[in-house]
Amino acid sequence: MGMVQKRKKMHYGDTHLQRRWRVRNRRRDLDQIDDDMRTQSAELINQNVDLDKPGFAQFYCVHCAKYFIDDTALQSHFHTKVHKRRLKALELEPYSIEESERAVGRGSYQKAKKRVIETQPSKDEVKAGKRIKVEDKDTEEPTTSAKVTRKRPNKMET
Amino acid sequence: MRIETCYFCSSKIYPGHGVQFVRNDCKIFKFCRGKCHKAFKRKKNPRKVGWTKAHRKWAGKELTIDPSFEFEMRRNVPIKYSRETWQKAAVAIKKVTEIKERRERHFVMERLRKGREVEIQMDVKDVQRNMSLIRSPAAGLKERRAKEEAEEAALMDDDLSEEKITYVDARELEKRLEEGLGVEDMEMLEA
Repeated sequence: MGMVQKRKKMHYGDTHLQRRWRVRNRRRDLDQIDDDMRTQSAELINQNVDLDKPGFAQFYCVHCAKYFIDDTALQSHFHTKVHKRRLKALELEPYSIEESERAVGRGSYQKAKKRVIETQPSKDEVKAGKRIKVEDKDTEEPTTSAKVTRKRPNKMET
Repeated sequence: MRIETCYFCSSKIYPGHGVQFVRNDCKIFKFCRGKCHKAFKRKKNPRKVGWTKAHRKWAGKELTIDPSFEFEMRRNVPIKYSRETWQKAAVAIKKVTEIKERRERHFVMERLRKGREVEIQMDVKDVQRNMSLIRSPAAGLKERRAKEEAEEAALMDDDLSEEKITYVDARELEKRLEEGLGVEDMEMLEA
């Protein structure tokens, strides 16, 4: 037979994943994002114009550490699974080096607290003084928790 | 020289082992082996990976809060050498580890005991729920039937004995009614 016989590939491997795990492709870690949320949410939501960033750095999701090209893209991102999963992941306090040491018996181990995480406020709201607020969840009173979650939007305005 | 702890699995890292990663915010993450380093690169959460120390503590499988954990601390200021403190420390370390181990063992045993109780409860429930698998529904059917028949017969007898038939003279009854006595009064009289 004169034809070229080519081996049929059955597996595509994890090269595409390995590329994503390279250090140069590293995105912000959860503990860094947690820090952003608590300390500099306003600066990140209202950033100066940066021509190198997507959308000139005007549409940034703090929780996912991601730039979007316009407001519709950002708003539709808030409805995606990726974003909701990230909110869920941020609910627990992030893992830290200190926790790794506490786990091995250097100091008593405190269980990570659960918090209430909500999607960031809009730019205008941030200008009006609203910030991303990270509050501890009341785990002791499960009966009132429904009430608390309903009240939370009002508390955010402070 | 210092024995470090792994960021991911919290195991010891002896000098000359493992790798460390310095993030662009100057935080240093140390890993005991490739397995832990790889897991970190994949952004795995150590609390959710079963084989890490962090998971065992987080899931309540090990003793978490105890004063014996407060002895061992990271010390960033060196102490001046004196023979006496070192000797004392060597004795104290042995004692503390012994106490710690005993408490941990006790905690684990308590935890397992609880599991055993639950197991017994579940077994009892299981038996109660699936009684038909152990005991045939037809078991003792003959005896039960015989019993039922006997009961029915007894009932029949009772019915017969209960019915008391009283004979009343019709003429006398009419007379009495005329006199003005009600039926109820008659029954009263009879009683």
